[in-house]
Amino acid sequence: MTDATSNAPAIKGTASSLLTESPLMKKRNAAEARFRMYGVIALCIGLGFLVFLAVSILRNGIPAFTQTVVSVEFTLTQEQFDEAESKMLKTAAYTEIFVNGVTAQLQERGLDVPFDGGTIERLMGKVGGDLRSFYRDNPEAIGVPTTFELPAASRVERYLQGNLTREMVVDGRFLEAADLDVVDALAEAGIITSAFDWNFITGADTGVDNPGGAGIGVSVIGSFFMMLVVLVLSLPIGVAASIYLEEFAPRNRFTDLIEVNISNLAAVPSIVFGILGLAVFIQFAHLPQSAPLVGGLVLTLMTLPTIVISTRAALKAVPPSIRDAALGVGASKMQAVFHHVLPLAMPGILTGTIIGLAQALGETAPLLLIGMVGYVAREYPDGFASGLLDPNSAMPAQIYTWAARSDEAFFEKAWGGIIVLLLFLLTMNLIAILLRRKFERRW
Amino acid sequence: MNDMTPVNRKLGTMQDLKISARGVQVYYGDNHAIKDVSVDIAHKTVTAFIGPSGCGKSTFLRCINRMNDTIDVARVEGDILIDGEDIYDPKVDPVQLRAKVGMVFQKPNPFPKSIYDNVAYGPKIHGLARNKAELDEIVEKSLRKAALWNEAKDRLNAPGTGLSGGQQQRLCIARAIATAPEVLLMDEPCSALDPIATAQVEELIDELRQSFSVVIVTHSMQQAARVSQKTAFFHLGNLVEYDDTDKIFTNPQDSRTESYISGRIG
Repeated sequence: MTDATSNAPAIKGTASSLLTESPLMKKRNAAEARFRMYGVIALCIGLGFLVFLAVSILRNGIPAFTQTVVSVEFTLTQEQFDEAESKMLKTAAYTEIFVNGVTAQLQERGLDVPFDGGTIERLMGKVGGDLRSFYRDNPEAIGVPTTFELPAASRVERYLQGNLTREMVVDGRFLEAADLDVVDALAEAGIITSAFDWNFITGADTGVDNPGGAGIGVSVIGSFFMMLVVLVLSLPIGVAASIYLEEFAPRNRFTDLIEVNISNLAAVPSIVFGILGLAVFIQFAHLPQSAPLVGGLVLTLMTLPTIVISTRAALKAVPPSIRDAALGVGASKMQAVFHHVLPLAMPGILTGTIIGLAQALGETAPLLLIGMVGYVAREYPDGFASGLLDPNSAMPAQIYTWAARSDEAFFEKAWGGIIVLLLFLLTMNLIAILLRRKFERRW
Repeated sequence: MNDMTPVNRKLGTMQDLKISARGVQVYYGDNHAIKDVSVDIAHKTVTAFIGPSGCGKSTFLRCINRMNDTIDVARVEGDILIDGEDIYDPKVDPVQLRAKVGMVFQKPNPFPKSIYDNVAYGPKIHGLARNKAELDEIVEKSLRKAALWNEAKDRLNAPGTGLSGGQQQRLCIARAIATAPEVLLMDEPCSALDPIATAQVEELIDELRQSFSVVIVTHSMQQAARVSQKTAFFHLGNLVEYDDTDKIFTNPQDSRTESYISGRIG
């Protein structure tokens, strides 16, 4: 067998020149080009949807962050105060004082649009009551020029944004066409302005009649406490369970059964976890309804399978040679796992955890059943324990509540709430990415 | 260079017997991997296990520090005594055993930590150093013994995985000897190395013989001839022949041994 070519059978047929493409090669190249094109098309469709989503969320949601305010500098003298307090209809008296003040300011700038207390009430709500309570609480402000920033009604806001035209206005309890002249005059005088609405981010939800004052702040706190519960419970329990199953547990029928069940649990609809939470935590354990603690517990149940599955995958991906190396120098099994395997699996575990938490953050269905949807959170919790135990709402639940209300101004709030939710999520992801960077090692 | 000519060797007598295996059987599930192997390994010698792939030499090696315990389906029968103590006695903790019987693996497997931490890990978990100075000393001594000190002393905080293949393997040897073992098991330590790195590791093995008894599994008969004083030939799970290395290579008693070393089987 010295000459390998002499015994080789001659291969006949295919094109002899390398410069011309054989028909088979052409077909193979065409198939590859087609496949690449499918990939690009799929990617473009995906990107298109993403851009569409981002644009529509931003376009609809950004207005929720601004607020139309009526900003008036105004001085109340002691005589006016005494006179108003002596009247029968005290708030009406204050409204009249306010109307006179604003009219005077408009006239100063050469704008003469007569209006009365009714107009003010339609445009800005019950101003008289606000003024009265302010001066009763702050008697030292009497006689001193004070700037009031009073939120305008949602219809005024929509009119200024161009979403509400004069033709659409039907004279009635809420707005009259003549009122819009006043709005125009106020806008021209610079009394009505648009300002960043901190109240939307920090504030609490309001009743159905006051969309302008509604904020998402309290439910952000609710979501935060829920995520805290989920993280504190599901990460250690999930990781411990995975380490036991992956590194210590014997392989037998029982552990196989557990494995199958964990995979199945990850696919169980979240509302099932909600009903479980209702039965176990509220009806059996008598934990308070609508509490972020219970919400967190339910979401923990939902998140655990995700964390267990991803942690086990991460542990499996650590090369066995590392375990051998550790055991070889006389490390106990636990030392091998905690000193060497776990740090290497950490990036994967963090990825799984953040996916689980993100899922939990956006979950509404299980919250329905434990009473966190529909509860209108109006107050900040006044401490850590009350943050966990006092009734609260959560961001997705709050968004759901707003979207279900009839006043269109709440719609805008819902979109704005989605932006806040996404920002919260981005922050969480950012922290996870930073942690990953810290733990990532080459091997 | 005539690799097959065994060098002159002084043999330890059977008085300093270190490991003694009697009737060892290993099963992987239904597969009978080691069949009734009995072997005596002397102290301060290099013993080579040779044989074709899948003959059970690595399996037997892994019995000596009970690394087979980590495989669920593996079952070991028979007695293995180290210094007269049965290592498969229920009272023996395999973790303690492995501190006494170090192991170097086929593929260099340094921890993804610094060179210093790689070597210091064993002494740390076994409490061999009372303070940082002692630990530094152990690390330096181990790296010197593994002939890595000169290359590594300026980069002790660099990751061990950043070293070259040969350096990594010597780092693993340093890590194994840092716990002051009495026996060093080496499972084909040079199979992933180039000839130069191999020569360095072999030189090292010869030096380690001063303080440890070394058991080395190798595919290369030349390597066995170069580094070992005793050689055991395994075939299909049986220990076919076990004798002085020069005797195995010059005057094998069994026809299978002869076929293998002359290249007709395996």
